[in-house]
This record gives sequence, C-alpha cells and structure tokens, in this order.
Amino acid sequence: MKMQKLVRAVGVAGCIAMAIPAVAQDIKLGVVAGMSGPGTSYGIGIKQGAEMAVKEINAAGGVKGRKIALVIVDDASNPAQSVTSMERLVNEPVDLVVGGWGSSQVLANMDVAERAGLPYIVVGATNPKITTDKNKWTFRVIFTDAVQAEQIADAAVKRLGMKRIAVIHDANDYGVGNRDVFLASLKKIGVEPVAVVSYQSADKDFTAQLSRIREANPDGVAIFGTIPAAPAIMNQARDLGIKARFIGTGGLANENLMTLAPKASEGTVLTTYFHEDADAQAKAWADRYVKEFSGSSQPPRPVLAAWEYRAIKYIAAPCLESSGTNKDKLRQCIASWKGNLFSVPGEAYFDKTGQLIQQSVLVEVGKGAFQAFKGK
Amino acid sequence: MFDQLLIGGLATGCIYAVVGLGFTLVYRTLRMVNFAQGQVFMVGAFLGLSIAQRVHLPVLPLLFVVGAVAFALGMVLERLVFRRLYHNHEVFVVGSIGLGIVLTNAVRVFFPEPVPFPKVFGSHVVQIGTARFQEAYFWVVVSTLVLVVLLHAMFAYTRGGRALRAVAADAEIAGTVGVNVNRAIALTFGLSFAVAAIAGVLIGPLYFVSFDMGDMVGLKAFSAAVFGGINSIPGTILGGLVIGVLENLAGGYISSAYKDLVAFVILLIMLIWRPTGLLGRDTPVKV
Amino acid sequence: MTTSEVLRRWWVGAAVLAALLAFPAFAPRYIVHIANFILIYTLPVIGLGFLTGFTGRVSLAQGALFGVGAYTTALLTTKFGWTPIATFFPSVLMTVVLAVALGGAAVRLAGLYFVMATIGIQQIVWIVLMNWIDLTNGPQGVRSIPAIGLGDYRLETPQKFYFLTLAVAVISYILAKRVIGSRLGLYLRALSDDQLAASSVAVEVGRAKVTALALSAAWAGAGGFLYAHYVRYVHPDMFGLEASVLYLVMSMFGGYRSIAGMVLATGLLESATEYLRPFGEFRMIAYGMILLLGMMFFPKGILTIVRRRTSARTAGKT
Repeated sequence: MKMQKLVRAVGVAGCIAMAIPAVAQDIKLGVVAGMSGPGTSYGIGIKQGAEMAVKEINAAGGVKGRKIALVIVDDASNPAQSVTSMERLVNEPVDLVVGGWGSSQVLANMDVAERAGLPYIVVGATNPKITTDKNKWTFRVIFTDAVQAEQIADAAVKRLGMKRIAVIHDANDYGVGNRDVFLASLKKIGVEPVAVVSYQSADKDFTAQLSRIREANPDGVAIFGTIPAAPAIMNQARDLGIKARFIGTGGLANENLMTLAPKASEGTVLTTYFHEDADAQAKAWADRYVKEFSGSSQPPRPVLAAWEYRAIKYIAAPCLESSGTNKDKLRQCIASWKGNLFSVPGEAYFDKTGQLIQQSVLVEVGKGAFQAFKGK
Repeated sequence: MFDQLLIGGLATGCIYAVVGLGFTLVYRTLRMVNFAQGQVFMVGAFLGLSIAQRVHLPVLPLLFVVGAVAFALGMVLERLVFRRLYHNHEVFVVGSIGLGIVLTNAVRVFFPEPVPFPKVFGSHVVQIGTARFQEAYFWVVVSTLVLVVLLHAMFAYTRGGRALRAVAADAEIAGTVGVNVNRAIALTFGLSFAVAAIAGVLIGPLYFVSFDMGDMVGLKAFSAAVFGGINSIPGTILGGLVIGVLENLAGGYISSAYKDLVAFVILLIMLIWRPTGLLGRDTPVKV
Repeated sequence: MTTSEVLRRWWVGAAVLAALLAFPAFAPRYIVHIANFILIYTLPVIGLGFLTGFTGRVSLAQGALFGVGAYTTALLTTKFGWTPIATFFPSVLMTVVLAVALGGAAVRLAGLYFVMATIGIQQIVWIVLMNWIDLTNGPQGVRSIPAIGLGDYRLETPQKFYFLTLAVAVISYILAKRVIGSRLGLYLRALSDDQLAASSVAVEVGRAKVTALALSAAWAGAGGFLYAHYVRYVHPDMFGLEASVLYLVMSMFGGYRSIAGMVLATGLLESATEYLRPFGEFRMIAYGMILLLGMMFFPKGILTIVRRRTSARTAGKT
C-alpha cells in the first residue's frame, strides 16, 4: 500500500511538470480531439487549424494585449479518455474550449464542460443530440447530420431526380443519425427507400450488403459512413455491377475518397462543411493552410481545420475581446454572435440550442477532386 | 444473390482458413494460442505492399518473398520473445496480445491511413451466373488450395515435415529419437508467420490495407480454427470456409448488422458442445 | 506475528487510510478523477482474480460483464426513472445471471478452451450492445445518466464521488479477502492447484467453478454500476476486448493470489494512459511494450520484485 502512495505522489508531480508553460496573463484556449487513434487525421486537422488561428492572432498583438496559449489534449477518439481529457482542461483551468471530434466523444465530454460552466464550441461532431434545449455552455459550428441529411435528401429527389434510393450506413452514431434523418426527409417528400442496410465501421467486405442493394435495383445509393468504408463500398458496388450514382453527407468529405476509389467515386454528390471554391477568401485561406502544413507527417485536411480556424478567429477571439474571460459573459457573447464566415454562403448565427445556422455547400466528385455542384 | 454471397464467402473463408492455419500450427506444437496472429497477417499485407510498390514483381515471387521474410521474422521472434512466454497459457495470451498491439501501432506510425494495394492479380471482373467478382477472388481460392496441398505434402513426405509432426504429437519422445525440438518449434513459428503473411498479400488487392485489418480477421480465423478443430489442419480449413460462407449468407439474408455474430456464436456453441472441434482429435489435455 | 509487528501494521494501515481520506483535499481535481477510475477498476480486476489466481482460469469477457452492469443501471435510471441506489442490486444480479447463462456451461472446459469461450462471450455481448438499438441506443450510447445521491445531495464532482469509490473499493477488498479465506476460497485454490486431487477430496468441482464465475461477474457488475454513474455516459466501445485485456493484464501484473498486488497494478496501468502522454503518437506502442515485456520478465506479477527483496532480507536475518 505504501507503494501506492508513492505512485500517486509521482503521478501528481508528473502532471504538474507536464503543464504547459504559459505566462500568467495569457488566455488559455483548450482543444480536445483524437490525435492518436482512429480519428487521427481529423484530430490533427483540428490541431493545425487552432495553431494557425492562434499564431495569426498573437502576431497581430493578441487579444487586448494578452496572448492566447493553446492547451491541446489528445483523447485518442475514445469516449472515456475524452471525459478525462475534458477534466484535465477544466483543471488547467482553460478559459474556453474549441474543438471536439467524434459524436461519441463529444456526447461524453460535453457533460463535463456543462457541469463546470465552461464555454465549449464544438467543431467536429454532427450528432443532433449534442445541441438541444439541455445544453447551456455548449455550442456547435459544424452542421448537424440533421441538416445535411435533409439537404441531400432534398437534392437527391429534386435536383438529381432519383426515385429508387438505397441506403447503406455505418452502424455507429454518425451513420445511424444520418440514416434516421434521411429516411424521415424522404418520407416527407413522399419517397420510400428501396433498401436499407448497415455495416460495422471496421468491415472490409460489403458483398452481403451490396448484394441486397443490387437486388433492389436502385438509381441512387446513399452512403452514410466515413473513410475507409465508403470508398471500399463504392469500389465493390461497381464491381458487383451497381451503376447507380452515390450520394452522401460530410463523412465522405475527405480527399482519401478519391485516392482509394478513383474511378468509383466519380459523380458522387455530397454536402460538405467547407469548400475552397465557395468564395475567394476560402481559396486564399486554403492555399495558406496547405502551404503552412504540407511538410507534416499527415497530409493537410482543410475541412475540419477550416472550422477550428474560423471558430477561433471569427467567433472566440472577438468574444474574448469584447467580454474578456468572464465565462458567463463569454457564453452570452457567443450565443448572440452572428456574422459572415468564408465558404459559408450568407450570414450565420447561433440558434437557441447553440447550433450555428448556416447554408451548406453541395459538391460533386469530378476528375479526382471535389468540385462545386452546378445542377445535374 | 446466393451465388454472389457464396463466392464472396468462399474467398473470405479462404483467408480465415489460411490465417487460422497459423493458429493451428502453433497450437499443435505448443498447446498455446498466439494472439498476435491477426497482426502478423496485417504486417504481411504491408510487407507485400511495400515490396510491390517499389519492385514490379509478378505474383508468385511476391508471395514467396513475403513468405520468406515472414518466416524469418517468425523464427527470430520465437527465439527472442515467445520463448520467454511459455510459462503458462495466461502469460502467453497476454504477452502475444501485447505483441499484437506493438505491431498494430508500429505500422500505424508509418501508415496512418488506409492504402490501396496494387492489383497484382489483375483487375478483370468475372461473371458467373448472377455473380460478378474481381478475378482476384478466384486467385485467392486457387492460391489457398495450392498452399494447402504444399503444406500437406511437406508434412507427409518430407523429413522436416515429419519431424514437426512428431514434435506436435509428443515433444518428449520426439526429442529422444533425435529431433531437435527447439528448432522444430522455431520452424513451426516461422511457418505460422509465413502462412499468415501470405494470406495478407492475397487479400491485399481485394480491399485496402490498413493497420487495423488484422483485428477482426484474427478473431474470426481463431474462431474458425476452434470450430474446425484447433489441432487439425483440414479442420481449420473447413472451419474457415464454413464461417466465411455462413456469415456472408447471414449478412445477406438475415441482417447485415449481426453478421459478425455468426463467427462468435459458432465459436461458443462449438466449445460447449465439442471443444476439440469438428475434425479435431481428442488429445489428452492436462486437467 | 509478534505484537510489535501487529502494531506496526496497524499504524501503517491507519496512516494510509488517513492519506487516502485527505487526498482529495490537496490533490488537483483531475488527479482525483484518475484516482476514481483506478478505484473503480479494482473491482473488475479483483473479480478476475477469483477466476485467474484462484481457479486458474483466464477470462477475456470481464470488459463485457463490466458493461452489462453499467448498461443495466444506465437503462434502468434513464428509461425507467429508477433512482441509482435502487439499481445497484439489479445491475449486479443481471451481470451474474448473464455470465452464468453464457459461461456456465463453459466453465468446465480446460484452461485454454475456456479463454476461447470467454472471447466468444465478449464479442457476442459487444455486438448485441452495439446493434440492439431499441434496447441500448446502439452506437449513440446512453447519456445523461443521473448521479448517485440521497435526496437532494448528489455525488456530482470527482471529489464527492471519490469517497464512494474509496468506500466501495475498501469494502470489496475486505470482502474478497474474506471469501478467499473462507471454505469456498479453499475449494477454489484447491481447484487451481490440482483439479483431480481436489475432486478426490469431495470438492464439488463443477459448483465451485460456477461460483467463481458468479463472483467475478458480481464484482464486474458492481464496478460497471459505479462507472456508469461517474462518467454518466455509456457506449459499447468502452466495454470491448481492449477493456477485457486491460483488466486481465492488471490482474496478472498484480500476481496470482495477491489482491494488494492487483490494486497496485491497476493504479500503475490506469495512470499509464496519463504518464504515457509524452510519448505522443507512440503511446500505444509503449503500452503494448509494457504488456509484452511485463509478461516476458515478470510472469508472476510485479510484486515478485518486492517479494524477492523482502525474502532476501528475511533470509539474511535468520
């Protein structure tokens, strides 16, 4: 038992040693995301977006003379570790948190922020249950599955003229959430899916699911999943002779889609969170981003970095300017924020559940890249 | 739909069978289960990928090279790592799981994202009845057959093979008639690694390779081996094929959500009903 | 034991207890949070000890059983509005029933086959938790699990929860020692040493094994109950094969038949996720190496280092 005490003492000392060396009057901004597990590429994107934004803000003099210090915690895309990570940020203490990837992780760690009264802007989780009437301190900038699935359902029927839609979805919260909203939206327009099948995130072989879909003879196949399942599904579907067009939402918005399914992904239409062709400012930012991070171990992925960057630069920083670090004032400032962000058409604002209301961007896969969708 | 599911199931079944062979080989000789087997399969796939990306080798030499490297790796690891884990089952189980974790994460450092494998089997799509599939599926089945025949020949007709069988049957007695037991064990490990690695290369072109591809395959191959008889080579092959086909059929006709359940339910039922498996022989197990 | 030795033990015990009680007062909140996890995890680990150390059976299903306990209380409190205290017994009971139902027939299997069966159980439970969406919400998990409390007083902060986990951990430790010291414990130990001999002296082998299984499940279920009301969100991935491996490793690192060792090992390995942070990307490799090297060089548990030293000392004394 004595050894246990010793171990604990060492643990405490170790944690103190590992604290970020920040100056007393720095503003501490916490970032939590998975940087060593399944969602690594997304987590690193978030980290890069944060670093880019904070570097620019500090170079321009900081917030009222105070610099922003980033406290980055890796939760390995694991919900239990995510709770611990958030506890760590609360303990630091940070003034606010901008980050969070993966609905399972965010659903788990937002309760910690809520109970501690810590403003939390979520950038990488799309499950609708995150922003409801229950959260007071949690905000979210990225679209929910609800919005995206609804918009793609609409586009599929009204703009792409699909009548026989099959759905294949990941059995995780992302896939299930999307499927539910998609089917409800289809029903409202008066369309029934011809097949609905699911798979496990780690599956490699989709013969069983795709055989069922092929039987149903669809003219459109909705894929609600992420990499690497989605491109595998596309490849195997084409091999099986399924010629229907693919549609989907943000989970497909990853350049790997084209790397892994170069031929099969052509023509896919999806809603996405960010696209550099949406406006000139977006393009300029994307160029700067790629230049700054192209040497790192992971190829730069602008989609989530864009959200982290915009959330910090255009929402968090201005609110820190006007309200200081008083948490309640910060919260009120964020809740009443409205404005323009690059790549978002029109003005965006937070609704009373803390969700940022905005229009999405539709893109199509063409010639191995995402291109703005222009009609058929 | 049935033929599509059947053919797809046979191909994955072959993979389970071959990886399962790795489990069986080690079990027969040592009565231990190497839980890093799935990760060896994954490493084999990446080995094949690395070679195929740099040197334009036709299929057979590629398989041979990967097999040879894995064989050597298996022997080295036996000497350095596994030998120290023979104390009892639990230690071996946890130790091999640890090795598996090291392998998975080491590969992840170099290949954090899934990578496509060069189409070493060609990319022609074949049609049989209503079933359409990549020609690679066909090659997987053929390669498995060839591999099994070769192994059988080795065990039945070569001195080395018979020595390995002797050690598997009774190491003590084999030792007294002059078989170098330590070397036989090392060779068995080498063989189990080679076999899994070759399976990795076979499956590479069908799906992408990623650092986590070994986890589920390892568990299902293990179930296949137990199902068919973990001390029987033909049993393991049969087990792999049956599980591959059954889970595909279940996924297609019943529910894709519970597809994975098939392998594990079969495992559990088999263990309760007949632990030595379908074709396993009753070896006297220390009580 | 001499009187002075008894007194010394008493003093050490009291000092440790005092330190443990005062701990949350001076430790940062986040460290208390980790301590809570360590204390919660001692339950499934000690539970495993009944199977591993005392009957020589390895189980890789403890993660799933822990999950059954957690999900039972999560669902009872969120879907049916039960108050947390009322769900403790049902959670433990459910875990035991499920364990015996699925594993009861498997306990009679010889060592390695039993491991295989538990892998099957682990995977089956995980797959069901993940896919039976109507019951468990599947991959969305169950959130907003209420905190344990009496009336208006709720255990909502790590510090407050700490006292509960400490109490439960201490009680379970004492209880476990009692069981091991009892007649049942004698039977269990006899089984692990030599099953044939044990049955020859009329030890009801089959029943003892099932009892061991039930005990391990009970401890796992209790741990799951605490976990659910602490993290207040459950998701199937928290109760997968990795969790089972973790508990098994903690149990083995502690060494057979040493409950104190298991507690220590739990502490070291759970805080590993934190002190391995400097490794960054290589965190998991480091973790795997710890498992591997630990098994290669300390197959009987880390306390053997301590034992070797103390036995050397006492040897010298004679």
